[in-house]
Amino acid sequence: MQAAPIVFAQAGLTYPNGVEALADISLTIATRSAVAVVGPSGCGKTTLLRTIAGLERVSTGTLSVAADATRAMVFQSGLLFPWMSVADNISYGLMTRGVPLAQCRERARVWADRMGLQRFIDAYPHQLSGGMQQRVGIARALAIQPDIVLFDEPFAALDAQTRLLMQELVCDLQRQGVCGTMVFVTHAIDEALIVADRIIVMSARPGRIIADITPQLPDVPIAEKRALPAFNQAFADIWAQIRSEVELQMHEGVR
Amino acid sequence: MPQNRWLSWLSPLLLVVLWEGAVQLGILNRIFIPPPSEVVVALIKGLADGSLLADVVISSERIALGFLIGAIPATVLGIWSGLNRTVYLLVRPLATMLYPVPKIALLPLVIVVLGIGEVSKIATVALSVFLMVVIHTIGGVMQVDQRYFEVGRLYGANQRTLFRTVALPASLPAIIEGWKLAMGFALTLIVGVEFVGASNGIGYRIWQSYELYAIADMMAAVCLIAALGWVITLGLDEVERLLVPWRHTVKESRMPLLKKWWGAVRPWSYTAAIVPVLLGAAIAAQQGGLNWLWLVLALIGSIAIQGGTNLMNDYYDYKKGTDTPAVKGTGGALLRGEMTPQQIFWAGILAFALGSAIGLYLVSVTGPFILWLGLCSVAVGYFYTAGPFALAYVGLGEVAVFIFMGPVMVLGSYYLQQPVIAWPAIWAALPVSFVVAAILHANNLRDIDTDILNHKRTLATMLGRSGARIEYYVLVGGAFVSVLLLVALGLAPWPTLISFAMAPLAWRLMRTAATEEAAEKLHPVLRGSALLHMRFGMLYVIGWVIALWI
Ligand SMILES: Nc1ncnc2c1ncn2[C@@H]1O[C@H](COP(=O)(O)OP(=O)(O)OP(=O)(O)O)[C@@H](O)[C@H]1O
Ligand SMILES: [Mg+2]
Repeated sequence: MQAAPIVFAQAGLTYPNGVEALADISLTIATRSAVAVVGPSGCGKTTLLRTIAGLERVSTGTLSVAADATRAMVFQSGLLFPWMSVADNISYGLMTRGVPLAQCRERARVWADRMGLQRFIDAYPHQLSGGMQQRVGIARALAIQPDIVLFDEPFAALDAQTRLLMQELVCDLQRQGVCGTMVFVTHAIDEALIVADRIIVMSARPGRIIADITPQLPDVPIAEKRALPAFNQAFADIWAQIRSEVELQMHEGVR
Repeated sequence: MPQNRWLSWLSPLLLVVLWEGAVQLGILNRIFIPPPSEVVVALIKGLADGSLLADVVISSERIALGFLIGAIPATVLGIWSGLNRTVYLLVRPLATMLYPVPKIALLPLVIVVLGIGEVSKIATVALSVFLMVVIHTIGGVMQVDQRYFEVGRLYGANQRTLFRTVALPASLPAIIEGWKLAMGFALTLIVGVEFVGASNGIGYRIWQSYELYAIADMMAAVCLIAALGWVITLGLDEVERLLVPWRHTVKESRMPLLKKWWGAVRPWSYTAAIVPVLLGAAIAAQQGGLNWLWLVLALIGSIAIQGGTNLMNDYYDYKKGTDTPAVKGTGGALLRGEMTPQQIFWAGILAFALGSAIGLYLVSVTGPFILWLGLCSVAVGYFYTAGPFALAYVGLGEVAVFIFMGPVMVLGSYYLQQPVIAWPAIWAALPVSFVVAAILHANNLRDIDTDILNHKRTLATMLGRSGARIEYYVLVGGAFVSVLLLVALGLAPWPTLISFAMAPLAWRLMRTAATEEAAEKLHPVLRGSALLHMRFGMLYVIGWVIALWI
């Protein structure tokens, strides 16, 4: 079990092509906490997750993540292996770590049950709906019992109802304590408020942290939560912070 | 949609009809353009005297060899260059440079270097296949979405695991596409090569018919090569479906063609059709050479009859409504709506027709003895479940199978090669008889309870469960004991003792048969008995073949 938090100190990242994606990020994410990251499109949210995942290195400043922390990511576009069955996708991270096949199969079954995918365990990803595919992606990530789980706009491509269900699912999983430290990137402010206790707001590119909000919302069912005055207040606060950034990004896009 | 499928047959059919009509009415000159009917006659003649078939076999051999020699190293090299920059820089420029050169233009050069023999033909095909496959494989490996590698690495895959779980499966569709294109090339190329420098093969046949102005023969040969191309395409499509199952499951919701018919015709049951034919030929070979064509025909015929029997059984079971959705095979396929009864019926008829045609041909070349054997078999087959004295229902099923799927078939296959009625061949068939009877008996043992309820009288129901178990031991054990005795008496060569390698399997089957009572627990014994028949039988045949050299 990893105990050290994730710590960014004045970290920045410039891609080789000169795009400055992150600038001056200072952020500490406590172990086993649930943090959401919101910000305008193209501001560097995915980049932030990729640095935590170890897929990208910060070019200035430092990022420290416990070296032995197992990391898993649920991708924006799913990125399930199309050539593997649902079961093989789910148990992929176990298979690579040398877990015996029978045990992989067993774990995959357990996770498929948990995700309501039991009937699709031998299906290929393209035979599943978008929501089911993302559930496989989540199962693949959580099956390895990761210390850190990174969600990159996992529900952006889903329809509104499926999305609500998936948010409930993530909240449930979190309550069961299987998500470890969770960093959840999303465009949707309400989604951020539902799945996380703390919300980081990023500026337009290069991404900086412009707000760090911990709304004190009671732990009630999602539908009730949405109706709370505090929920709406927090929503309005965050929107106020982010609005000008989105406008900025839009104008930049036009130019 | 089935209607559309029929529609797609309409235009070729119309063309054939118009063509035939135009020639018959004298609109086309039959000297230059013979009608389809003449082509069919030429085709049948060529097939019947074996010459056309021999040419197809030779051309297929050249294609197959050239393809394998070209495609295997090309695939390996292509994957390697796709993954390794250095290899890529070495391989790619040469491959792209040579690729557009029409390979047939290189034939004279190849002949100068390798001579006019078989080698140069195969080399030309192999070279062309090699280039095609290398280029497609490199492309396939390099176009793999890099993000999949990232995912793999994130989830802990090392280099080797990445190759096995990402690089290979992700590039496989493109690689197979390359194989397909290369195969098309090979087919075109072989005809061209055989036009120029060959004295056999289908291309040679076309060219020679042209020179003799035997246009009907020429067209028959063209039809045959078209058929060959079609079969190869279907085969590669199947290979693709097997290797790349994830790409087809949605595009065509139907099951892969092969898998569907595989279940329908139950090839594992063909071991009973194949082993005796091979055994007869192997025994005959001890006396001298083999006529391979007749052996192949006998095999095809035997398989066709067996397949036809399976299909017809399913058809009638379905009509009678005795199958339930759980039933495997076509009965099941029918119930699940994957195939129509008509399809099954006509496939069955087609299989019987093919089997009978081959049988009659063999009778015409070897004499009436085969005909008598065949007629007896047909009679037994009919009275097996039909008529007032249905053999299967008076406990004689095992006996009938013991005699006919053992000695009779072995003797028939033997007689094709050596036209004498040889007792040694009959004795040597006994081990196979025992196992094939064991398959049937395993079936009856499994169904013993339901058969008793339905007043079906099989040997198993007559003997009762413990007696039926002993019968199973006797049949399985008898197979091994008979091999021992035959070797001891000098009636079988000692290498046939390798069939004892299957003793552990036999032992496991007997143990299961001894302890289990439930039908679903005994089902594996049935499957296992068929497996035993195949493995034990093949080893026994191989023993006979080894004896040819020692
Ligand atoms: N591999 C790369 N090389 C160069 N530039 C990149 C690379 N990946 C991302 N970028 C650029 O970095 C910036 C931030 O990208 P990133 O994907 O992190 O944004 P994001 O906040 O996740 O956007 P979205 O909300 O649209 O997913 C973008 O301008 C993008 O074009
Ligand atoms: Mg992103």
